[in-house]
Amino acid sequence: MTPLVYVLEEQIRDLLSQTGDVRLVDGVAYGFDDWTVFHAYTEKPYSTPSGRICPCVAMRSDAAGFVDEEKLMLQVRSRVDPDGDPIVVLLAGTDAGGSPSCRALVLTEKGVAGADARFVPRRSELFSRNTGLLETSALADKKVVIVGLGSGGSPIALELARAGIGHFTLIDFDRLELGNISRHVCGVNDLGRYKTLAVRDQVLQKNPYAKVSTMEINVNQSLGQVEDAVAACDLLIVASDNDQSRFNLNQMSLNNNKVTLYGRAITRAAGGDVLRVRPWKGPCYNCVFSSGLIDGREEEMSQKRQALAVLPAYVEEDKINTMIQVGLSSDIAPIANMMVKMALVELSRGIETGMSTVDEDLASDFYVWANRREEAYANWPRMGFKWTHPSILRWYGARIDRDLDCLVCGGHLEEEPTT
Amino acid sequence: MGWSSQQSARLHLEMGILSRYFPTFFLKDSIIPGHAVIEGTLRSNAGNEYLIRLRVPADLPNSVPIVEIVSPVLRDRFGHSLVDLGTSYPMHLLKPENGAVRICHYSASHWHPNITFFKVLLKIRAWIEAYEGHLDSGYAIDHYLPHMEA
Ligand SMILES: [Zn+2]
Repeated sequence: MTPLVYVLEEQIRDLLSQTGDVRLVDGVAYGFDDWTVFHAYTEKPYSTPSGRICPCVAMRSDAAGFVDEEKLMLQVRSRVDPDGDPIVVLLAGTDAGGSPSCRALVLTEKGVAGADARFVPRRSELFSRNTGLLETSALADKKVVIVGLGSGGSPIALELARAGIGHFTLIDFDRLELGNISRHVCGVNDLGRYKTLAVRDQVLQKNPYAKVSTMEINVNQSLGQVEDAVAACDLLIVASDNDQSRFNLNQMSLNNNKVTLYGRAITRAAGGDVLRVRPWKGPCYNCVFSSGLIDGREEEMSQKRQALAVLPAYVEEDKINTMIQVGLSSDIAPIANMMVKMALVELSRGIETGMSTVDEDLASDFYVWANRREEAYANWPRMGFKWTHPSILRWYGARIDRDLDCLVCGGHLEEEPTT
Repeated sequence: MGWSSQQSARLHLEMGILSRYFPTFFLKDSIIPGHAVIEGTLRSNAGNEYLIRLRVPADLPNSVPIVEIVSPVLRDRFGHSLVDLGTSYPMHLLKPENGAVRICHYSASHWHPNITFFKVLLKIRAWIEAYEGHLDSGYAIDHYLPHMEA
C-alpha cells in the first residue's frame, strides 16, 4: 500500500512562515504497522507519541514556490540507514489557492516511495464538523480543575476533552503503578509516570490544542497553590481518595464560589455516590458528610498510601492489606460518567449545548449508585421487573438541605463572599 | 501564608467555646499556621492536673489536631514510661514525638470540620480518667474506652 503520513498542519504553516535561506529541517517521525503509517513532526511533538521512531526531514519551497528536489534527495540519501529504517521526507509548499500543502516521501535503501500526506487540522478547524476531531467548540473556553487522576478522575478528564473542554488543570502527586493499570485510562506504556502527565498526554490525543497544566502536589500540603487554580476555574472536580483533601477543597470551593463535583466509590466499588456543591445555595461537602450520608469508613481503599493516611497508626499491616479491596473499572465507570454529565450541565449554563433538559432533571445535589447488592446495598431488593423500588444499576437522587449548623458554610462564621 | 479569614474566624470560635468550658486553655504562636498551639490544664476527678498541648493544624479545621500530654511524665502502672511504649493500641497512643505522649482521639476517617477542639478535649479528659483507672486496676486504657472502628 501507499504509505500514509500524518502531519500537523500548524507545523507546516510554521515552516512556511520562516524567512531566509531554504534549508533542511530535522524533525522526527513515528512509524506503525511495518512502516506503512507514519506520524511526522517538523518539531518536537506536543505529547509523548507512540510508534517506532525514525528520522524525518522537511524542506519548504523557496519564495518562488520551488523545491529543489534533486538537491534535497542528494542530501537525504546519504543519511539512509543500511539496516532498513526509513526516512520520512516532507516537502512543504502552497497550493494554487494559497493554502499550505505538503507532499511526503518515504526513503529506504530500496528507493523512494511517494506517500499519501494528510493534515491533522490546525486549531481553528479542529471544531468544524466532519473534518475536525471534536464536534463542538461551545466549551472550548471552559476551564476545569480535576483533583485526583486515578480510576475515577482519569476517565473524567478524557471524556471532558472529547466533549470539547479546552482548559484543564490536573492535580495529583501519585505515579502510575502496576496495580492501577487495569482501572486506569493509561496503560503499561505509562508505568512510573506521574498520573497527571500521563493523563495530560491522553487528553492531548483527543484535543491536541487543549491547554493542560499539571500540579504534582499534595492538596493538603499546598493549599495556596491549589486555591489559585480553583479561583481561576469554571468547575472543580474532586476525584481524590481522602476526606481531608475534600474538606480542604470544599473550603476553596466556598471561598471562590465555584461549583464542585465530588465522586467516590465505596468498598470494592459495590457502589458509589456523587455530590454537587453549589456554594451557599445548597449543602456543602461538610453538610452532607456530617449528616452521615457519606461515611469515611466505607470509602474504597485502593492503595496502601491511602489506607495509611486515614487509619490509626496501630492498625496492623495485615489488616491494612485486607482493607485494600478494589473494584472493576466497569464499576467505577458509571460514577465517572455521572460526574461527566453533571460537569457538562454546569459548564453549559448559558450556552446552547443541548444539556438544558438534563439540568431540569438533576434536581438533587446528591446521587447514589449501586453496582451489586453488597455492603451498604445488601438489603436492597432484586432488580427484577419492577421500577418502583430501589435496585442496582440505577441512579437515585436524595434530597439534602444545607445544614444551618454546619461549621463550614453555616451562618455563624462569615457572610457569603461576593466573588 | 497566614490564616485565611475563615480560619481566623474558626480559631476565634474555638477559643470562645474553650473559654467557657476549659478556661485555662490559651492560644500560643498563633501567627503562623502550622506553629500555633493551644495549651492548658485538665484536672482529673481525683484532682490531678495534666498540661495538655493541642497542635492547631495548618489546614484548620480540615484535619485531626495532634494532642500531647506535656506534663507530668506519664508512666504505666508497672513503671514504664508511656513514651517508651511508642504506638500503643491498648493504651490509645500514637507514635510519640519530641518526648511527648500523643493521644489517639479521633481517627482521620472519623474526622470532619464540625468537630471542635472542645469535643477533642472531652475525649482527652476521658482518656485521663481511663489512664488513672489503669493506674488503679492495671487494666489497659482500652478496657475503659471503646475504640473507633478503623
Ligand atoms: Zn456546609
